[in-house]
Amino acid sequence: MKTRNTEHPTSNVQHPTSNGASARTLTSPLRRGLLRIGCFAALFCVTASAADDDAPREANKFFESEVRPLLSKRCFECHGEKKQKGGLRADSIGALKTGGDNGPALVPGDPEKSPMIQGVRYGDKDFQMPPKAKLPDTEIATLEKWIKMGAPWPQTEADKGKIAEGGFTEEQRNWWAFRPLAKVSPPEVASAWVRNDIDRFVAKKQAEMHLDPAPEASRRELVRRVYFDLHGLPPTPAQVEAFVNDQSPDAYEKLVDELLASPQYGERWAQHWLDLVRYAESDGYNADEYRSAVWPYRDWVIKSLNNDMPYNEFVRDQLAGDEIAPNDPNVLIATEYLRNPIYEWNQRDVRGQWEIILNDITDTSGELFLGLSFGCARCHNHKFDPILQKDYYRLKAFFAPVHWRDDMKLATPEQKAKYEEQEAKWEAATADIRAQMDALTKPLVDKKVEKAVDKFSDDLQTIIRKPGDERDALETQLAGLCQRQMTREKKTFDPMKSLKSEESKTKYKELEAELKKFDNIKPAPLMDAFVATDASAKAPPTFMKSRKGEQEVAPGFLTLLAPGDPDIKPIGNSTGRRTALANWITRPDNQLSTRVIVNRVWQYHFGRGIVATASDFGKLGEKPVFPELLDWLAERFVAEGWSLKKLHREILLSATYRQTARRQATEVAAKTDPTNHLLWRFNPQRLDAEEVRDSMLEASGELDPKAGGPAEDGNSMRRSIYTTKKRNNQNELLRSLDAPAGFSSTAERQSTTTPTQALLLLNGDWPIQRAHKLAGRVEKLDDAWIYTLGRLPTAREREQAEAFIKKRTGGAGAHSSSSSDAAENAGEFKENTPQERLLVQTPEKEGDEFTVEAVFTLNSIDTAAAVRTIASRWTGGKDSLEAFGWSLGVTGEKSRYKPRNLIIQLVGEDDNTNIAYEVIPSNVRIELGHRYHASAMVSCVDHNVIFRVQDLTQPDAQPQTVTVPCSVRAKLSGGASSLVFGGLNKRAPQHQWDGRIEAVRVAAGKLPEQELTSADSSKWKSALVNWTAALGPSTQFAWSGSDARATETSDPYRQALNDLCQVLLNTNEFFYLH
Amino acid sequence: MSCHHYDHPHSRREFLRRAGCGFGAVALAALMRDNILAADAVEAKAPVPQKFPDHVARAKNVIFLFMEGGPSHLDTFDRKPLLNELAGQGLPASFKAPITAMGETKSPLLACKRTWKQHGQSGLWISDWFNRVAEHADDLAILHSCASDGINHAGGVCSMNTGSVFGGRPSLGAWVSYGLGTENQNLPGFVVIKDSEGTVVNGVRNWGSGFMPAVYQGVEFNVEGAPIKHLENPKGVTNERQREKLDLLADFNREYGATRTDNTELEARIRGYELAYRMQAEAPAVVDLSKETEATKQLYGMDHEETAVFGRNCLLARRLVENGVRFVQLYSGAGSKWDSHKNIEPLHSKLCRSVDQPIAGLLSDLKMRGLLDETLVIWGGEFGRTPMSEQGDGRDHNPTGFTMWMAGGGVKGGQIFGATDDLGLYAVEDRLHVHDIHATILNLLGIDHTKLIYSHKGRPERIDQNEGHAYKKIVS
Repeated sequence: MKTRNTEHPTSNVQHPTSNGASARTLTSPLRRGLLRIGCFAALFCVTASAADDDAPREANKFFESEVRPLLSKRCFECHGEKKQKGGLRADSIGALKTGGDNGPALVPGDPEKSPMIQGVRYGDKDFQMPPKAKLPDTEIATLEKWIKMGAPWPQTEADKGKIAEGGFTEEQRNWWAFRPLAKVSPPEVASAWVRNDIDRFVAKKQAEMHLDPAPEASRRELVRRVYFDLHGLPPTPAQVEAFVNDQSPDAYEKLVDELLASPQYGERWAQHWLDLVRYAESDGYNADEYRSAVWPYRDWVIKSLNNDMPYNEFVRDQLAGDEIAPNDPNVLIATEYLRNPIYEWNQRDVRGQWEIILNDITDTSGELFLGLSFGCARCHNHKFDPILQKDYYRLKAFFAPVHWRDDMKLATPEQKAKYEEQEAKWEAATADIRAQMDALTKPLVDKKVEKAVDKFSDDLQTIIRKPGDERDALETQLAGLCQRQMTREKKTFDPMKSLKSEESKTKYKELEAELKKFDNIKPAPLMDAFVATDASAKAPPTFMKSRKGEQEVAPGFLTLLAPGDPDIKPIGNSTGRRTALANWITRPDNQLSTRVIVNRVWQYHFGRGIVATASDFGKLGEKPVFPELLDWLAERFVAEGWSLKKLHREILLSATYRQTARRQATEVAAKTDPTNHLLWRFNPQRLDAEEVRDSMLEASGELDPKAGGPAEDGNSMRRSIYTTKKRNNQNELLRSLDAPAGFSSTAERQSTTTPTQALLLLNGDWPIQRAHKLAGRVEKLDDAWIYTLGRLPTAREREQAEAFIKKRTGGAGAHSSSSSDAAENAGEFKENTPQERLLVQTPEKEGDEFTVEAVFTLNSIDTAAAVRTIASRWTGGKDSLEAFGWSLGVTGEKSRYKPRNLIIQLVGEDDNTNIAYEVIPSNVRIELGHRYHASAMVSCVDHNVIFRVQDLTQPDAQPQTVTVPCSVRAKLSGGASSLVFGGLNKRAPQHQWDGRIEAVRVAAGKLPEQELTSADSSKWKSALVNWTAALGPSTQFAWSGSDARATETSDPYRQALNDLCQVLLNTNEFFYLH
Repeated sequence: MSCHHYDHPHSRREFLRRAGCGFGAVALAALMRDNILAADAVEAKAPVPQKFPDHVARAKNVIFLFMEGGPSHLDTFDRKPLLNELAGQGLPASFKAPITAMGETKSPLLACKRTWKQHGQSGLWISDWFNRVAEHADDLAILHSCASDGINHAGGVCSMNTGSVFGGRPSLGAWVSYGLGTENQNLPGFVVIKDSEGTVVNGVRNWGSGFMPAVYQGVEFNVEGAPIKHLENPKGVTNERQREKLDLLADFNREYGATRTDNTELEARIRGYELAYRMQAEAPAVVDLSKETEATKQLYGMDHEETAVFGRNCLLARRLVENGVRFVQLYSGAGSKWDSHKNIEPLHSKLCRSVDQPIAGLLSDLKMRGLLDETLVIWGGEFGRTPMSEQGDGRDHNPTGFTMWMAGGGVKGGQIFGATDDLGLYAVEDRLHVHDIHATILNLLGIDHTKLIYSHKGRPERIDQNEGHAYKKIVS
C-alpha cells in the first residue's frame, strides 16, 4: 500500500497506531463517549509542537504578561474550556476570531470594530462584559492596545486555532469526514484468507493489531445469516439443504445473486430506509390521524431497491421528484419524504407548527444524507463541529418553499384526463341533484366552516380569506395547513344530524338515493398523492434568529465545503432549490453523502458501521475504524454507478463477511479489541423486531407473501413491513422488540431485553397462537426444530424434548367432563366448571353493523365493576389494534354505569381513526333470576345502538327499546379475538356469565323489528352464528372450562407439543444470529 | 477457541447462579441495584454514565399525581383577589395578550367562586376544593410560577412528561430509572396507574423511554385483574406447566450459550424470562390490598364511591414505593377530564372531591410510616387555566403560569415559591419552566441533571435539553 494512512488522523484513541509495542486497549464506546463529553475541551488544548515563529518578541511578552492573565481572570470562566457562553471561547485567538453565536469577537488591529471592546466598555446596556462588573480602565486599555497591535497570540497555540479560509481552523478542515475521498488502493497483504479487496484492508489492520480473522462460517451458519441479512426471513428447510448440498465452487456466489434478485430483498432493506426517514402511517401527537395515502411511498422504496435504482437518483427523487418529473407518479411519490414530519391537523398555532415542521425536515436531512447533527446549530454555531448557525438556515432555506399538497393524485396525465372526462359526464348528469342537495346543506356547512375560520388568529383569518392567487408563498403554505381544519368540518358534516326538519331529512335521503343511481358512470377515484411541491417559484424568506435579531438567509451548503451561493434556477412553478440541493448531495465527489451511505450499508450487514455512529460523522461521533476502506468503498460505489446491489455483493463475497460468529475472543482480542471493532469474527446479532415476527409466521407456516398495498393490522399474516404503523399505537410485539415509533430518524436499532417483553412472548395471545399453529404442522419431533431453527435437534435436545413430553403425557389427568353431563346442564355458565365460556369458530365476521340477540338468566353480578358477559368479540384491551371488538353484558356493583345495567362495550376507530373505547349503556336494569330476551343492534353507520329488552318472567312486561348514540366508526370486528359466549376471549372470571344463556344469535347487519320479537330460538332465522344450548356441542362451538387441560386441547401430547413449540420460538437461537 | 471445558451444571438453579456472575447486558443491568457494576461489564450502548446519586439524595422515590387536562390553579392554590374584583371585565390592557388554545381571546375575566382559608402554622391560602390536602399545608411546597411550552393537551402532557412537546424523548420516570436503577428486581422501576380506562393524551408514549432502551419505560399497572399486561399465564396453563416450559427453555438456552459465553445478551435474555416469572409471582401480591386494614382504606377514602378509585391508586402507590418501585405516576382524569372549557364549577368540584381525601390520606399514611421524608409527592397537571372565561363559565388552557406542589422528599414545607401576576396569567417571579421543574425533581433525588447524560446519535442528551436549572430554594 502506497500508504495514504498518514493523511488520516492516527493519534486518536480508536486508532492504535501500527506500533505493535504500544498496542493499546480499545476503549469502550462508553468511556470514549464520556471522555469526549467531559474532556473534549481539554483535548482541544493539547497542541502539537510547532516551530517557533518570528513574531516580535515584545508582542509575545506583552501578551504573556498582560493579556493572557487578564483574559484568564476575566473571561475564561464563561468563555473557556468548561463553558462557552454565547458559543464563544476566549482561550485561543482562532476561537476569538471565529467568534460565537453573534460573530467574531474581535477584529485584529481594529478595537473600534471589535465587539469585545464594545462589551468591556459598557457602552451598550444590553451588551456588557463581563456582566458582573465593569473592568478597571487600565485593563480595558490593555485589551485595546493588544487588539490594535493585531491581537498577537504566541504561535505555538495560535497554530491550533489558526483561521483558515472561510473562518474555519485547519483542525476543523482536516476532520476526517470533511476531507475529500482519498484515492486508495487496497494494500498488498500476503494472506490466504483474503478473498477480495475489502479483506486486504481488514487483514492489514488486523495484522497491525496482532489479530487474526475467524475461519469461514459453516454453510448452515452462512445460509441463515445471508437470508436474514438480505431478506429478513429464515431460509426454508429446502433452501438450507439446497445450499448445504450444493457442491459447485460458486455455490455461495449463486446464493447471494439469487437473494439480491428476489423481491424479498426490497422488503427487508426498505425497512432500514423507512427507519431513517422516520416513516409512519399516522400524524403523531395526540390526534394521531391515519395517513391513508402514505403506503405507496413504502412500496416505492421497496420497488426502487429491488430495481437497484442508483442511490443518487433515489435521493434526488425524494428531495425533488416534483421538480424532476412532475408528471410521473412513480417519481412524484418519492417526495413523500418531505411529508414524514409529525403534525397535528387541529393545531391552532399554524405558524409555530410550520416552523417545527421545517426544522424537522432540516434536522433529518442533515443527519440522513450528510451524517451531521445539523440540529445542534439551530440556535448557535455547532459547539463541536464546523457547522455555523447560518449553515443551519442555509440548509433550511432549501426546504422553506415546500408546500404540503393534498390536492394531487398519483396518476399519469393520461389517467387524469380520462378521469376528468368521465367525471365531467357524471357531473353533468347529476348537476341538478347535487344542486338540490347543496341547497339543503350548503348554508349549514358554510356556517360550520366559518366557525372553524373564526378560531384562527386575525392575521391567519386574513390569509384564509384572501383569494389563492393573491397569497404569497408563506401565505399559501399557512393557508394550506389551516384549510385542513375547514376540510375536516366539511368531511364530518352529517346531514342527518344537522338538517332540522324531518321533511328536509327525507328529501335529502331521497336525493342521495337518486344520486347513487349514477354511480355506474362515476369514475373510480384516483389515488391521493401524499406528496409535496413548492408553494411557488418565489420562495418565502428564511430568517435566522440570534441575539442580534433576525437576519434573512439564502440557501447554501455547508460553508466549510461550499462557501458560495449555489446556482439555483426556478423550474416551472417551483424554486428549483431542492433540485440544487439534491444535485449537491449526490455529486460524485461529495465526501459526506457518499461515505454516509456506504457506511450505512456496511452497518446493516455487520451490525456496526465502519463509523459506528452512522448519522454523526462529527466530533461527538466515532471515527472510522477502517478509514481507507471506507473511502475505497465510497469511490467504488460512485464509480459503479451508485449501485447498492453491487456494493452488497462486494461486501457479502468478502472473507470478512463470511467469518463465523462462533468464535470466542483470543487472548489478544480480549485485551485489545474485546468488542470486535476490527472484525476478528462476525458480530453476533439479535434479529430485528420485524424479522422476529416474520420468522414466527414463517415457522408456523402462516406467512402470507402478498406484497405491497395498504397496510394491515398486526393480526394479518403478512410481513411486518406491511403492518400498520401508527405512531401512538405501534404493534405491541414490534414495539417490544425495539421497532422505532417513527418520531425521529433511527440509524441503529436497539436490542433490549425486558421482563415485559418476555411476558408478552410467553403469555401473549399472538405468540401463543403461532406456537399452536406451528405445533399443528409438526408431525414428528424433528419437524419442530427444522421449522424454527432450520436444523435437526441434537441428540441431547431430542432427549430433553422427549423427556418433557413424556412427563406431560404420563401425568395427564382425566379428560374434561363427559358429554352427558354437559347435555344435562346445557346453557349453564358457571365459573370453575368445565362450562365457563363457549368459544365460537366462525370464519366470517359480523362487521361494523350487526345484531346480537340472546335469551338468558343472570344469577349474580360482579362485586366490583366488572361486566358479566353475554357475548363478545373482545380481548378486553382498549389501546391496540388487536383490541378492536365489542362485548355485550351486565354491569357489576361498583360500575359507574350503576349495577345491573345492560351495556355494550365497543373498541374501534373513531372519526380521527384513533382507537376509541366506548361504553354504550342501555340503562335497562337486569333483575337477577329473571329470564330475559334481549337484543342489541349496533350500527357504526347510523352511529347508534338499539337495545330491545323483554323480561320474560313477568308475563305482561312490555319490551323496552332504547336507542343510544355511539361514536365508534369502524373496525369493530377487526381485532384479534374470536367470538365468545359467556365471557371474553381470554379467561377472566369476573367477566364471565353466572347463570344460563339458552341461545345466542349474531347476525351481520341490522334486523327488522319483527325478526327480534321471538324468545323461542328455534324460530330464529339463520344468521352468522346461531346457537341454542339444547342442541348440544358441535364443531363450531367448544366449551372452555376452568380445567386447564380442557381449554386448548384435551390431548396431553398435543398440549406438550404446543409448549415445546412455544419454547423453541423463544430460544436464543431463534432470536439470534450467533 | 470455543470452551469445551464447560461442564454441565446439575440444575437450572445452579446454572443461573453461575450465569449471574458474568451477567450483563444493558437492560438487566439497569434493573440491578448495583447498576454501575453491571453497566461496566457490558459494552453498553446505554451506559449509566456515573454513579448516582451524586449528592445527598433528599428523596428516594417519587409519586407524581398527574391531574390530566389542566387543573385550575386560580381556584385551588393560587388565590387572586383582584380576579374577583375585575370579574366580568376584559383582561386589562397592561397584560400581554395571550394565545389561547380555543381562540376565545376577548372573553371577560371569570371570578373564582371558592372560599379560601389560611391553613396550618404556615398560613398557606388553599381553597375549599382541597380542604383535606390543606390539613397538610405545612408539608406543602407550593410552586406558583410553573410554565410550559405546550398550549394544547398533546404538547402539554408530552412536555410535562418528557420536556418536549414532541414525542420521542424519554419521560421523567425513564430518566430517573436510567440514573438510579430500581430497588426491586422483581418489579418494574417505573409504574403508571390511571384512574379510568380513558386514554391519557398521547397514549403510552407519555411513559415511554424515547431514544433510551425499553427497559427504562414505565409499565402500566391495571387496577383490576392482572396488574401488568400478559402477567397471567395463558388460559389454562398452570404455574407448574409454565415453570416446566421455562425450565426447558433455560435448558436449551444454556446449551446454546455454553459456547457463546462472551455474548452477554444471551444471558440477559435468560434472566429476562426468569425475571418475568418472578414478576408473575410478586406483582399480584404487591397490588393485593386485602391485607390492608379497614382504617387504612378509609384513610384513603376507599369507603366512599367518589374517592374509591383514586384512593385505591394512592394506596397502591404507597405499596409500590414500599416495595422498591422508584417512580410511580398516578393519573387523575385520564383522557383530559380536568379540562374545563365550560362548566368549570361542577367539573372541577367532582374531580377535586375525587382526589382530595385520597391525596391527604396518602400524605398522612406516608408520614405515619416514616416514608414521607424519602418520598417526593408531586401534584400538578400539564398546565393551569386562564383567568379569562371561556364559553361563559369555563377557563381555557394556561401554560404561561400555573401551580404545582411538592411534599416530602426533602422540600421545604409550608411555603410558597414563585408567583404569577395579579390575575394568575403569567409567571412573573422565579419562573419555573418544565425543564427547571424536571431539574429540580432530579436534584431532590440526588442527581445533578447536567450530569445525567445519555449519548444519543453522538449527542450528549439531557432531560432538559440543556436549558433547565434546578430550583434549589425549595430544598429544606
